[in-house]
Amino acid sequence: MIRQDLFELAARNMRNARLRNALTTMGIAVGVASLVAMLSLGIGLQGFANHQLMKSGMFQTVFVTSRQDVRNMDENSDAKPEESPALNDDARTKIAALPGVEEVAPEVRATAEVQYGDKTNFTLLAGLPQSAREEDSVEKVKGRFFSGPKANEVLLQRDFAKKLEKDPASVLGKTLTVRFAERQNGDTSGSFSIERQEKQFVIVGLLDEEPFGGMRMISRARVFLPTQTAESMNLMQPADTQQLVRSTSGARTYSMLTVRMKSAAYAEIVEDAVKKMNFSAYSYLDATRSMRRFFAVLDMFLGIFGSLALAVASLAIVNTLVMAVLERRREIGIMKALGASDIDVKKLFFAEAATMGLIGGALGVALGWIIGRAINFGSNLYLHKIMKMPTENLWTVPLWLVAGAIGFAVLVSVLAGIYPAARAAKLDPVQALRYE
Amino acid sequence: MNEETAAAIESQGASRYYTMGDTTVHAVENVSFSIRRGDFAALLGPSGSGKSTLLNLLAGLDRLSTGCIVVDGRDLSTMDSEALARYRRLTVGMIFQSFNLIPTMTLADNIELPLRFAETPRAERHDRVLELLTNVGLAHRAKHRPTELSGGEQQRAAIARALANRPSVLLADEPTGNLDSRNGQEVMALLQDLNERVGVTILMVTHDPSLAAHYARQSLHMADGKLVTEVEAER
Repeated sequence: MIRQDLFELAARNMRNARLRNALTTMGIAVGVASLVAMLSLGIGLQGFANHQLMKSGMFQTVFVTSRQDVRNMDENSDAKPEESPALNDDARTKIAALPGVEEVAPEVRATAEVQYGDKTNFTLLAGLPQSAREEDSVEKVKGRFFSGPKANEVLLQRDFAKKLEKDPASVLGKTLTVRFAERQNGDTSGSFSIERQEKQFVIVGLLDEEPFGGMRMISRARVFLPTQTAESMNLMQPADTQQLVRSTSGARTYSMLTVRMKSAAYAEIVEDAVKKMNFSAYSYLDATRSMRRFFAVLDMFLGIFGSLALAVASLAIVNTLVMAVLERRREIGIMKALGASDIDVKKLFFAEAATMGLIGGALGVALGWIIGRAINFGSNLYLHKIMKMPTENLWTVPLWLVAGAIGFAVLVSVLAGIYPAARAAKLDPVQALRYE
Repeated sequence: MNEETAAAIESQGASRYYTMGDTTVHAVENVSFSIRRGDFAALLGPSGSGKSTLLNLLAGLDRLSTGCIVVDGRDLSTMDSEALARYRRLTVGMIFQSFNLIPTMTLADNIELPLRFAETPRAERHDRVLELLTNVGLAHRAKHRPTELSGGEQQRAAIARALANRPSVLLADEPTGNLDSRNGQEVMALLQDLNERVGVTILMVTHDPSLAAHYARQSLHMADGKLVTEVEAER
């Protein structure tokens, strides 16, 4: 029998026992709904946690230092520090060429005097790479982000802006003069001199939260400028003195490079590649492993509890179909007399089971989705009204879960149909037709 | 094999035993006979004589214990269940005393059923169903359910269904048993017409000797599972 006929006959048979099949299908729907509800909660919570952490930029970032550095963070490394190459422009280019790397930025920090109108402040200046604009804290910038990687623009910490103006927002668009120490290469290699310089910047944005600063907390800085602009200014760095003592050449080396990946998925690959280049590398990925394990276990348990209802529903399918076999004994006998093979009869019952699974699965996903919306609504009401916190989607129903849940419902239903289908196929037509 | 002279049904030592506890019941025992192509034969005998069992064996619904039955050149004793299903689908048509139309289906759906099993292309089916219904004079009843029809109409619909895949042999189990005499005559006239016009070989089980004498050219008599006499009517 061709599939279309099979499903036409199955649909007809199901219409003939409408109430019974509808109830069984609803049973499957409730089972699928509970599964979808449980799993979406797990996925939603995981997504929520990931989102919060990812947005911080932590997991897309690998920090690279030379093992020559006294502040080397890679404590477990057994490599000899003197074998580690210098973290210079050459190394920076190589790291930037690794797959998945979006930007490699050095840490630029310097103390500077900042003049705004007639107010003068001594504060910390820091470079902020272009890739930081996707970070949560920077995304919420009041005003805007730098117009380009080399713009003469700055972002201010809101608290700092408050020192300058009563209404911090009014600093936007105003000019800021920065006085800083510039490092100028000296006559002999390895030596340099320091000169006082002045540069003007336009204030374009205010930051509420501190951008993710990595290991050294650039976030303590009050004034942020594009990293490339900062680099071109040849700011005197605290590490420069260390370099002066150790270095044999005058070439610039970095105390640390911050590598931003396109996504957290690359972090491990890049970390390994950098370690192969004999640098120290560190990411927060290691710290998240236990969190990911926790969510895997949580999802599993939620899935098991969710599946229980579906297991009960599958028993209802067995029951419904066994009833159908008994009820349609004669009909099965007639079909066999008309030339239906055992396989045709078997397939017909499988088609009925699959149809119930498909409809039940689809209804269940819809039901699960509604439950999810309700939980979202309820939890957001709580977060917003009582906790005064921003609303969050704790509930996510990804497309793969929709397809997976329906597929799983069909699979479970077909498995439940094995026994009734075999029983129907085994039916002796002579007996079935004699039966009045 | 010569189409004209070859037997439509050939039975040699066909037997069917049932074991019931310690005893073995010989429902059909060592039955040999032959029915010519295009013939109209009757199988007579009292209740429990084994005629229904023999018919089920011929229909491919039951399996022989020993012996062999060859229908249309095919030996049923060597077929597996899949081959037997194909045989029931294409080679034989069957009609029953109680019609056995599926009550939840319309006549058209009932008649389409064997076409579905035979995987007849969907485009051809509609016309074929209409043609079959027209042949038995029920085209106007296509959308009716069996319970809305008289017994005679139901049996005619069952005949149309049995002929859906153009079988060469039609097996009828007491086709008029549940009908009044007028409807019974109508059904018998239809069977006779099909036999003569279409050339389908008919084997009809009946306990009514006058029916056999009136319509059949060959009569097989059974008693206690054995073939007693074989009578050929001179018509």
